[in-house]
Amino acid sequence: MKSLRRTASLLLAAAFACGLSAGAQAQQKPEGITIGYLNLVNAQLVTKALGLHEKSGVPIKWVKFGSGGDMNRAVAANQVDFGGVGNPPFTIGATRALPYKGIFVLNMLGPVESLAVRSDKNIKSLKDLAGKTAAAPFGSTTHYLFIAALKEAGVNPTDVKLIDLSPSDAVAAWLRKDIDAAWIWEPNLDKIVKNGGEIFLTSGEMAKRGYPTWDVGVVMNDFAAKYPDQVVAYVKAECEGIDYWLKHPKETVDIIAKELSLPPEDAERMMKGTTMVPCPEQITKDYLGTPGQIGQFADTVLATATFLKDQGRLPTVMDRAGYAAFIDPSYLAKALGK
Amino acid sequence: MTAVETASERAQRAARPKLLPARLRAALPRTRLLTTLTAASLFALWWLAAHYAWVNPLFLPSPKAVWDAFVRTATVGYQGSLLHEHLIASLYRVLAGYALACLVGIPLGIVMGLSRDVKAVFDPVIEFYRPLPPLALYTLIVMWLGIGDASKVAILFLAALPPLTISSMHAAASVDPRYVKAAKSLGANSRQLFRHVFLPACMPGICTGMRISLGFTYTVLVAAEIVAATAGLGWMIWDASKFLLGDIVIMGLFVLAFTGMALDFLIRLAERALTPWRFR
Repeated sequence: MKSLRRTASLLLAAAFACGLSAGAQAQQKPEGITIGYLNLVNAQLVTKALGLHEKSGVPIKWVKFGSGGDMNRAVAANQVDFGGVGNPPFTIGATRALPYKGIFVLNMLGPVESLAVRSDKNIKSLKDLAGKTAAAPFGSTTHYLFIAALKEAGVNPTDVKLIDLSPSDAVAAWLRKDIDAAWIWEPNLDKIVKNGGEIFLTSGEMAKRGYPTWDVGVVMNDFAAKYPDQVVAYVKAECEGIDYWLKHPKETVDIIAKELSLPPEDAERMMKGTTMVPCPEQITKDYLGTPGQIGQFADTVLATATFLKDQGRLPTVMDRAGYAAFIDPSYLAKALGK
Repeated sequence: MTAVETASERAQRAARPKLLPARLRAALPRTRLLTTLTAASLFALWWLAAHYAWVNPLFLPSPKAVWDAFVRTATVGYQGSLLHEHLIASLYRVLAGYALACLVGIPLGIVMGLSRDVKAVFDPVIEFYRPLPPLALYTLIVMWLGIGDASKVAILFLAALPPLTISSMHAAASVDPRYVKAAKSLGANSRQLFRHVFLPACMPGICTGMRISLGFTYTVLVAAEIVAATAGLGWMIWDASKFLLGDIVIMGLFVLAFTGMALDFLIRLAERALTPWRFR
């Protein structure tokens, strides 16, 4: 009996050990591809609607994420093969050594992400937000810009009651009048503006003030090492989507309107708020750069990291080369035949 | 005679200090030793896994990193609140929801146990929402009560209520009728009957319900703090996971676990005080 119990406890200990190592091991899904996409307005919706990835013959599973913070969690848990994140979550992921690389530019953020305030609250400057409750999805581009804008305006970020809400939760809280301001993105931003809100500051304006924000497409390192050709095909399909967006704006409006269940005029306005970068431009110094010489994006990530460290959101900051190692334009270069 | 007694008493007294550790030693090997061994080996496994980097430190930070996170959060704070402030924010929500549920659930349960009519009125309501996952209810409650503490306390209240009501109901329904008859035959009035017969007879069942309820309420805490909190242990863990701060996450889990154990210990003390006859 005694030995039986001892065996049982040994088995238990072994089970614990197995559980730990199994959790750490990567799982491969060569029979299908999981793409995590962000719930916002960009050309990836076109790529999805036209079935451009499906052309490669591999079954595709699309998973929608509310924010880059959620996407990072999914990446950490190895639940997607491809994903998309804004520069702050990308910076957090890189600093915490998430096993992914940025491989193409999803979009440059303009008025598609904006700070909306309640019209009847007479908010004339960011200082008027002191003491009020405002929302942003923590860890995302807009959370980063919100704090940056407050600091620039000389407002102590802790004077504003800033709470963490996903864009869809922010709309619910707005309708209940729990919050007076929210910095979120389309399509949910529009619901706030239409219910007594007005645009106060856009992410585009913040880009002009030296705080550019963008979303970057990422691939998991394991997947890229195992199926490099599939990654090139993936980037190629995404480039096709971007080309379609740029060359067929009318048809794109219909696609976006259908994908997000919006009236075409809303879809058109939202599309104007974001900038697609043609793939050949993406491998220039203003964006990803070339494999040997990573471009502006590395500088943005470094600046974001420095900012987040000041906010106590990151324990350390790497140097530029450290962040540049997380940007890999080689697949895009191959897709473009360079 | 008296001299002999004092002598034996003295002998007993002298023997007592030696006896106690011996008794303890007798109790130790089987249970305590195994418990300690489990804790120690799990800790050693954790330390080894972190030391030899078997697992990505992102998922399993070293014990030292977790300890450092604890010290840092206790002294410098996490996102504007010190560790004890997070703890107090969480305890306030849990205890407020739980206390409200006790105030409502226990009397309601007793009345339901005593009257079939009352049971017929309230039972379907409780049976309807009891199996619902708290998170599913939460979206609705946030829409009704907003993103402040009210919705968080409400969800904890709703989680705490069913175990309290159901166990109080069973306790009240299963009071031995012989006790009642005996007390009545001795001339007890209804007030005395309630105080000296019903309440003590129900108390063990109610206490068990209180203990189960508190444990369940506590498990709902993290879910309750996910939406729009700015302090609280559950929120801290959720927020840290967004920024991939594994050390804070694991530290928070430890604080949650130890606080939960402390709460359970307190309620067992209360159980001892309320129903001393069960522990004699």
